[in-house]
Amino acid sequence: MEKINRRDFLKFIGAGGIGAGAGLLYGESTRKTVELLIPQVVTPEDYSPGIATWYNTVCRLCSAGCGISVRTREGRAKKIEGNPNHPVNQGRLCALGQAGLNALYNPDRIRTPLRRTGDRGNFAPIDWDEALTLLGRRLGNLKIKKQGSSVYLLAGGLRGHIDTLFYTFMQALGSDHYLHYEFTHPAALYAANRMIFNQDILPYYDISNASYVLSFGADYLGTWLSPVHYSLAYGHLRQGRTDQRGKCVQIEPRMSLTGASADEWIACRPGSEGLLAMAMVHVIVNDGLYRGPDRNAWLEATGPYTPEAVAAQADVAADVITRLAHEFIRRQPGLAIGGGSAASNTNATASLAAINVLNYLAGNLNTPGGVIFNPDPVSPASPVARQASYARLQEWIEAMAGGGVDVLITHAVNPVFTLPPAAGFTEALAKVAMVVSLSSFMDETTALADLILPSHTYLESWGDDMPEPGVGFPVATLSQPVVKPLYDTRDAGDIILSLAHQIGGELPVVLPWTRIEDYLKDSWKHIYGQRRITADSGGNFDEFWNAALAAGVWGENITREPLRFDGVAEDRIRALQVPPPAFAGEEKDHPFVLLPYLTQAFHDGRGANLPWLQELPDPLTSIVYGAWVEINPATAKRFGIREGDIVEVQTPSGSLRAPAFLYPAIRPDVIAMPIGQGHSQYGRYARGRGANPLEILSPLVDEASGALAWSATRAGIRKTGERAPLIKTDGVTRTLGRQILDDKPAHT
Amino acid sequence: MADYREPAYADVNRDILQTMLVTGPRYWIVFGITSTVALVCFVLPWIYQWHVGVGAAGMNRNAVWGTYLSNFIFWIGLSHSGTLLSAVLHITGSGWRKAIYRSAEAMTLFSLMTAALFVMVHLGRVWFVHWSIPIPNPMGLWPNFRSPLLFDVMAITTYLVASSIFIYMGSVPDYAAVRDASTGLRRRLYAIFSFGWRGTAQEWHTLGWAYTFFAVFVIPLAVSVHSIVSWDFAMSLVPGLHQTIFAPYFVCGAIYSGTAGIVTVMYLLRRCLNLERYIREIHLDNLGKLLIALSLVWSYINILELFTGWYSGTSYEYEALRFKLFGFYAPLYWEMITFCALVPLLIFWKKIRLSWNRMFVISILINIGMLTERFIIVATSQPRKFLPAAFGFYFPSVVEIMITIGSFAVFATLFLIFIKWTPCVSIYEVKETLKPLRRAA
Amino acid sequence: MGKLTDKLKQYLKPGYYDKFDYHWTMTIDLDRCTGCEACVVACQAENNLPIVGEKRFRERREIKWLRVERYWEGEYPDVKLRFIPMLCQHCDQAPCETPCPVAATYHNQDGLNTQIYNRCIGTRTCAVYCPYEVRYFNWFSYTWDEPLEQQLNPDVTVREKGVMEKCTFCIQRIRQAKDRAKDDGRRRVRDGEVTPACVQSCPAEAMVFGDLNDPESRVAKLAKNARGYKVLEELNTAPSIVYLKKVNPDG
Repeated sequence: MEKINRRDFLKFIGAGGIGAGAGLLYGESTRKTVELLIPQVVTPEDYSPGIATWYNTVCRLCSAGCGISVRTREGRAKKIEGNPNHPVNQGRLCALGQAGLNALYNPDRIRTPLRRTGDRGNFAPIDWDEALTLLGRRLGNLKIKKQGSSVYLLAGGLRGHIDTLFYTFMQALGSDHYLHYEFTHPAALYAANRMIFNQDILPYYDISNASYVLSFGADYLGTWLSPVHYSLAYGHLRQGRTDQRGKCVQIEPRMSLTGASADEWIACRPGSEGLLAMAMVHVIVNDGLYRGPDRNAWLEATGPYTPEAVAAQADVAADVITRLAHEFIRRQPGLAIGGGSAASNTNATASLAAINVLNYLAGNLNTPGGVIFNPDPVSPASPVARQASYARLQEWIEAMAGGGVDVLITHAVNPVFTLPPAAGFTEALAKVAMVVSLSSFMDETTALADLILPSHTYLESWGDDMPEPGVGFPVATLSQPVVKPLYDTRDAGDIILSLAHQIGGELPVVLPWTRIEDYLKDSWKHIYGQRRITADSGGNFDEFWNAALAAGVWGENITREPLRFDGVAEDRIRALQVPPPAFAGEEKDHPFVLLPYLTQAFHDGRGANLPWLQELPDPLTSIVYGAWVEINPATAKRFGIREGDIVEVQTPSGSLRAPAFLYPAIRPDVIAMPIGQGHSQYGRYARGRGANPLEILSPLVDEASGALAWSATRAGIRKTGERAPLIKTDGVTRTLGRQILDDKPAHT
Repeated sequence: MADYREPAYADVNRDILQTMLVTGPRYWIVFGITSTVALVCFVLPWIYQWHVGVGAAGMNRNAVWGTYLSNFIFWIGLSHSGTLLSAVLHITGSGWRKAIYRSAEAMTLFSLMTAALFVMVHLGRVWFVHWSIPIPNPMGLWPNFRSPLLFDVMAITTYLVASSIFIYMGSVPDYAAVRDASTGLRRRLYAIFSFGWRGTAQEWHTLGWAYTFFAVFVIPLAVSVHSIVSWDFAMSLVPGLHQTIFAPYFVCGAIYSGTAGIVTVMYLLRRCLNLERYIREIHLDNLGKLLIALSLVWSYINILELFTGWYSGTSYEYEALRFKLFGFYAPLYWEMITFCALVPLLIFWKKIRLSWNRMFVISILINIGMLTERFIIVATSQPRKFLPAAFGFYFPSVVEIMITIGSFAVFATLFLIFIKWTPCVSIYEVKETLKPLRRAA
Repeated sequence: MGKLTDKLKQYLKPGYYDKFDYHWTMTIDLDRCTGCEACVVACQAENNLPIVGEKRFRERREIKWLRVERYWEGEYPDVKLRFIPMLCQHCDQAPCETPCPVAATYHNQDGLNTQIYNRCIGTRTCAVYCPYEVRYFNWFSYTWDEPLEQQLNPDVTVREKGVMEKCTFCIQRIRQAKDRAKDDGRRRVRDGEVTPACVQSCPAEAMVFGDLNDPESRVAKLAKNARGYKVLEELNTAPSIVYLKKVNPDG
């Protein structure tokens, strides 16, 4: 080895040193940050590491009110299961309910109160005290000036004692303006039930014990009323009994999820379902299949609705109508239900009333397998009176537009998305002096607010629920937080209670509680007092309360007062008529009827910010991450439209663009679009994706109930020449002769 | 050919050693290009893929195998060139193999190496590839010997080792020639490489015996290697792949592809290294005849595949065939048929068969067709398996295309290194084809 | 000599036990299944399935251990739609177990086809060999937008890139049930004590899970149902999932 001179030596040392330093820095930069282990010296109070704790609470992602059990580990929610104790879902849960964890841990949650700075849409954080003082003072001033009635509170479908809290608060403020608005609220169904059955709350549809389910567009397995319960019931109807297998018939313009499971799917014109029902009533009464004393009144009322006449209007063959009517009456107990386009045209109430009549004629009221009227909830009373139809909300919109609304508080509702622009809500909102949102997410409505007081998600909240539709006996579900609140948000109930204390006067007297948990517990003393069965929970209220918390639900499956039904009043029979559906737009320019439909994942758009649901292939089309327009394949061929071609859908109220999908089970004169995409806000998973069909609806209304006739808009389609290939998971959706499904005849 | 003058022994040494010992700028330019392309198109994309995940390629939930495996098979196929020419034709005593077998064996070796590289590129967690080797390990686990991929590992390793020994052993006398013709470091190195070869009768005898032994050993190895590689596909249930014809199909295709590869390499060597006196028409003629024979067998097997698929009468096979022949990749399929079944029929004509340029083009077309064939096997079978709702589609990504191009550069770089390290034409065997030395008058 | 041949015959099917300790089986009643896909989301939640994102879906690289396939029959207006949930069938003669060169997938003594993530080197041969296409590869290492990772199930590994994954019949739940049974002093897990996430969530009770070796279990009785069949049975994969055909009342 040659000798190294000093210069070279220093060079080597320097290079080596730099190299070592660089290596060290690189190593440090790639090393993961140290994570702390939980020291066992001081164990946390509310959990044992490694052991799961389960909390029972209520799912609030739709109005069914299923009970859920949430598995938590180390204070974090890991999995939502159905609560086996709960009579609505009996341990089962739907896709939307399972995705609730995406709501709790959503990256785009609002984490602190926000106040508008500058133009609408710009916010700066403020702290709770400041926010509550700001709002409380304003409300207090209004109350003092006896202008409490210019405070409006719009909530999503709230039930239980939180609803009572809101109501009490508003009453104490001096305002009658407290309404619930949900796109999915079946206003027409309530009106039809009132008309025919004299019932104010929804009955229990006993699909489980039925032999025949005749559904006019009701997507009871996907989105109608209480899909988990009805799916349970459906499973039992099919294969839960050894002596029979129930038959399901679905009549609708576009095959829904339920239609796919039906034994028979019949394509009728949108809005003609009520006419079909009347024709069936006609057949039943005419053919001597109904022998009740009011037979003649029915004969008279349904005189013009012969199968032949209706066949032309509904595009369903007369012999099919006759056959179905005979089948329905013969295979009892049977259920006739209506939803979808039957409940969303200008003749919605009348259509659903006619469908109700079918049940009456079949004699299945208050019998197993039929329509069982629900007893009144134990406590509190059902908030039916507050559930607004579209027409009722229109009154509010007019008040807002007229400048008569000083403060509008919104909670769990997104009308800017779910109302068609033709309603004028967004413009009216601009005239409200102060818009306050209690939402957890920056949705379209919240983005236009002046003050955001973010509430907890449902998994962090206290509350309770009395499911509607009920299950035939009183049930009350408790909602409790399953994790500590993640961010600087508050329970909606706590917000109201804090405001009450802020405002002062009689409010803290009427609402003396400071914590929502206390309010709830005190409220449940009413339930405790009205129990009939006292054996299960020993003596005192505290034991009852703890037992209810642990179980998540309380119910009493004993018969209370027998529910009677004395028949349909004669004047109601005479007044019963189903007008043909009316549509916005002329057939010449708008040859199709636009049928928006709810999906089991997104419902009215609320599920669009949950990534698991965006990634869930649509059950009928397998499309993810987008919206689409469904066109009958023969129609598409005529227009030269291929799958993925962007079409423009034009209605008298607007237009939108979306890629086309060739859907095999839709009428050639109908186009359909899923509701739920097309958000302009609502977080990274929902924003800027697809199109919202509600945006182009014309504001037709079912006069009898005030419900928005959301399937009464005609549309035209136009090829744009652009393409946006749909993201589907399906390859080829035909079995190509392969024995994959192996259908077999029933008699083997 | 009229002015062909048979070289003398000394000419042979001089001409061939010159290709090794004298390196002009043209070599360095070409070497620079191939190694740069290899780096940019093979190494860098691979590093990117290593970092990001195999998702950098175009495979997806249906077609989990893509060009990496189809290229792997192509390169294994190409590797059968040496075995056939060197081993089989040695056993049959063909004289015309002597000038070209060394390069063919080198092609084998480097094709195998490139193929092995493709296995590594293909793996999801290549840093654990050593788990597929049955060596004692702290986990106490053996690999799964029932797996056709493990047969692959065994077979290819054996083939690689055997081919390396084969080519090395056959080159020992030539290393001695290099030693004798050089000075300095090279002389010392080649003295080691040639094991002190002195050229005694005893040594020649031993070499001949050992060489023949290896030739006999390597032939069944070659057949088994590509049969085993075909069983990667044939042992699956995938319609269109699950056929017993796959083993003969792949072996035939391999020899076919390899022979075409030899024609290509011979053309280039002859041109670039001025070896016109050693690589002559007789070689081209015989290689052409081999090619036509193999092309006919290959066509026959393809017809069989179509026939058995149709005859089965099952929806699975029909759909697999339909997608292959008339689906998205139909142009590739028909291109493959043209290049591998129809174009080689031209070789029947002597005018084509004895034309260097035309045979060069045909050989390249054949190999393009064979590369396409491997791709079609992978790309048209997986998206059409059993459940129609799971049907899909596969298209290679930019990374895959780059790595494919890069693999040819890798092969070329290795080959360029080879021709400077070993005489690319076997000096002593060529001398055996010449007339014996005349005594000086 | 007979004993010797018997012993040698054992090696014909090494690793496949003739008699399983448990034989976990699932029945899926297609007459109950409504296609609602609650099972799909439940599986995603329980097993830390990644949120792959829109780009990966476009590239057909989704990871859904359980998917619902749909098949249309006929043309409008006489058109039918049928659903069939498709997940790993845990075949007793699994085509995917033989070809894995490193034995990262094998048949355990409970009749489950297991995937050992940390042994997998990503050759993806198993996915090629699977006729049901129920194996999914991690083409990348996926991440969760903070704080979605708080939801991850600590009982289930989060897979890195280069590793194959598939339905495990929620083996973490099976292990816990077996542990509990052991702690209780019982030797066997009782019917209904362990349900995979999908079975637990299904609103129509279409899926039933249990031990086929227990003659009293629901699944053992349902597996003998006249409507029972196995998908792609002719391939002799011997799946552990019995589908019950949907009844067609019109014959």
